[in-house]
Amino acid sequence: MRDDSDDPLIGRIAAELRHPVPARPDFEARVMAAVRAGPPSVPARAWTWLSEPRAVAVSPLSALALAAGVGALVIAGIWSASRSTRPGGAAGVAIEPVAAAAPSVVTFVLVDPRARSVALAGDFDGWDRSHLAMRRGASGLWTVDVPLAPGRYRYAFVVDGRRFVADPTAPPAVDDDFGQPTSVVTVSGARAAGGAL
Amino acid sequence: MRRTLLVALLLSLPNAARAQVQRLAGRVPEPARTQVAALVDSATAAGVPGDPLVNKALEGASKGADGARIVAAVRSLAARLRDARAALGASASEAELVAGAAALRAGATPAFLARLRRESPREPLVLPLAVMADLVARGVPADTAAGSVLALVRAGVRDADLVAFRQDVERDIALGAAGGAAAAVRTSATTSLNAPGLTNLPGTGTTPTPPAPRKP
Repeated sequence: MRDDSDDPLIGRIAAELRHPVPARPDFEARVMAAVRAGPPSVPARAWTWLSEPRAVAVSPLSALALAAGVGALVIAGIWSASRSTRPGGAAGVAIEPVAAAAPSVVTFVLVDPRARSVALAGDFDGWDRSHLAMRRGASGLWTVDVPLAPGRYRYAFVVDGRRFVADPTAPPAVDDDFGQPTSVVTVSGARAAGGAL
Repeated sequence: MRRTLLVALLLSLPNAARAQVQRLAGRVPEPARTQVAALVDSATAAGVPGDPLVNKALEGASKGADGARIVAAVRSLAARLRDARAALGASASEAELVAGAAALRAGATPAFLARLRRESPREPLVLPLAVMADLVARGVPADTAAGSVLALVRAGVRDADLVAFRQDVERDIALGAAGGAAAAVRTSATTSLNAPGLTNLPGTGTTPTPPAPRKP
């Protein structure tokens, strides 16, 4: 067996390591000042613990589970954001149902706290100004549910029995012939997926 | 004399048409009621549904329009329903004819309706036609709206996608975009999602790009 102390390379390395390391003149004073200052405060130690890089050991299974959780959160966030950007939701006036070939129940909504009565008139009820009375809810929210077969319908709200008001969130009717506000709702037919305007 | 004429007209109508015209009683004043009844009679004889015509008359009466204006509106709608029937074919439903008449009123051509039917012969066209009219009502030029709807139908988009498309265009317009530009951009995005390769708009001077041939 060979004695490493006889190796000239190891001998040179050992001699280099044995050289004294020059310290700055104030080294001793700074060490003593740090000793007299005592241990760092709890917030300082917490910050040091948080900010210092450190190695974390995670098993592959735990890493996969963590990645799946993060992915699920991102997908849920994107889905939620896309839903919240669609008009006609909770703050809209016309709620949009998913329609199929069968009649769909469409909820018409108008916010008018000052109205004494609101009715719905349109192609679906012969434009009768009193047939489809809307119910008043909290904060002047007027609603009525109407079952509609697939098709395009024109309608308006009749406020206090005489004033026609368009649905502010529905498309205006391009085919209005009488100079009064008119809106449009379209209930989908039997295409691959339903939808109402 | 007019009452006699109306009674004779009612007796000559089929039961369904008679029920439609009777809805006018007490709502539409004479002589407009007799004239509307005659328009309904000739329309149903030509295969055009009478219900939308009666609804139009009732709408006018409810909104306080005078008789002449009511009759003019009903006559105009009857003509558009006939054009829609001719373009969409004998099998078109009443709902499709109503939506087609609205699209024609918005500026669509009968050729557009016919092409839409050829592109989608077995699917209901109520929603595509209604979306076309709604886009025009929001400020999209009629030819751009027609081109957008045609491109979307050709790309095979579902009704739900058409609704989302219309809402996207409306939102863009509300944020200050020009109607034509908003529709063109949204159409391109929607068609590229649904059918890669169909990203250009018919009706805007470009032709659809066919998909690249697959390598064996």
